[in-house]
Amino acid sequence: MLPFSIGLKLGLPVTEQIVFAVKKAVVGGQLQTGDKFPSVRVLSQELRISPNTAHKAIAALVDEGVLVATPAIGTVVAPHEAGDRKDCAHLLGAEVERLVVEAKNLGIEQEDVQAAVAAHWEKLETPDRRYSHK
Amino acid sequence: MNAIEINNLTRRYGRTDALVDLSLTVHTGSIFALLGPNGAGKTTTIKILMNLIPPTSGRATVLGVESTRIGPKERAQIGYVSENQTLPLWMSVRQLLDYCRPFYPSWDRNLETTLLKQFNLPEDRKLKHLSRGMLMKVALMSALSYRPKLLVLDEPFSGLDPLVRDDFVQGILEASDLGNWTVFISSHDIDEIERLADHVGVIDGGRTKLNESSESLLMRFRRIEVNLQGQTPLLEEMPTNWLAVDRASERVIFIDSRYSEYTADSPYQRYFPDAVVTSHPMTLREIFLTLFRSDRKTSVGIRL
Repeated sequence: MLPFSIGLKLGLPVTEQIVFAVKKAVVGGQLQTGDKFPSVRVLSQELRISPNTAHKAIAALVDEGVLVATPAIGTVVAPHEAGDRKDCAHLLGAEVERLVVEAKNLGIEQEDVQAAVAAHWEKLETPDRRYSHK
Repeated sequence: MNAIEINNLTRRYGRTDALVDLSLTVHTGSIFALLGPNGAGKTTTIKILMNLIPPTSGRATVLGVESTRIGPKERAQIGYVSENQTLPLWMSVRQLLDYCRPFYPSWDRNLETTLLKQFNLPEDRKLKHLSRGMLMKVALMSALSYRPKLLVLDEPFSGLDPLVRDDFVQGILEASDLGNWTVFISSHDIDEIERLADHVGVIDGGRTKLNESSESLLMRFRRIEVNLQGQTPLLEEMPTNWLAVDRASERVIFIDSRYSEYTADSPYQRYFPDAVVTSHPMTLREIFLTLFRSDRKTSVGIRL
């Protein structure tokens, strides 16, 4: 099993989807600094993707500093400042854009969207906030 | 060196042109999918590559060797599995593997054992008592076990259930060797192919229609939806790379085949100044359908 959650969707470049899923797992704490990252072979077999694509995704993650390639051990998760809020916000960029576009399409006011977000936030708020970033 | 190079290949059967001036390049190390409707020329192409039939004109090279000169020495480096493969049905799985092994110096016993287990094949059962899915797995197994430099698969998934298909893909990847190993696969199962293939070649009527990396293809095509907000657009003057344009009262929907080429200045602003425009990624299947549907509707040349 892969150490991070991913559900590949058709229609989007696979490399991009993997990079996004891994960043999300790092920011969310599912992947910790120093965790061993799957090899090209494992990634390719688990996701049923071309080894070239798996290789490209890992190379991109190393390039962006999310992973580090260490000789003898393989690729591991790079040190990461827990709760870097800018990172988190950046990861949500596409989702936020989609929400705004949909809202505008439907003619919903900004305040109403914000109220809806706040309501959902409230619903999911639990005493045990494992993935909170202060 | 490219694993496969096809240059201006033409093949006629009597008066029928099966291939017309077909050119394709398959880079070493890639997984290349050859797509096209029935009768597009996929199997003819593969038969020429395997030297089962000669071309009428043009040429193809496989692993650096002219296709018409491919013999036993070259075949020992090529794994070929086709939908209509004939297998010695009187043999058991074990007997077939014992029979094949001596022909290939590169036969890998460990890989053979791994695949046998992974494919869940009953070693002692005669091939004539195996299901279609199992037979295809036996064929794939005997082609993978000698670690060919090039794997050629002609419609490997057709008629197989999802479980067998998944086993099949996993088996192919099990034998992979990054960079040194090329797969050429013709298929109708576009969803399976979308994840697996690095590169896609589309042929139609024996001609090349598209030859491009899957990533660039997925980036290039988008379904665009325009919410007009009361405006009247100039549909007549729309770019020719906007395909399958459809208009309802308040909305225009079309497929843009050049989406990834726009930088800051998108043409949507120009055509629909105050409208709300949304773009939606498309699956390889949807792109494939668009290519063939819009081609048949329009008489003028379209830009892909």
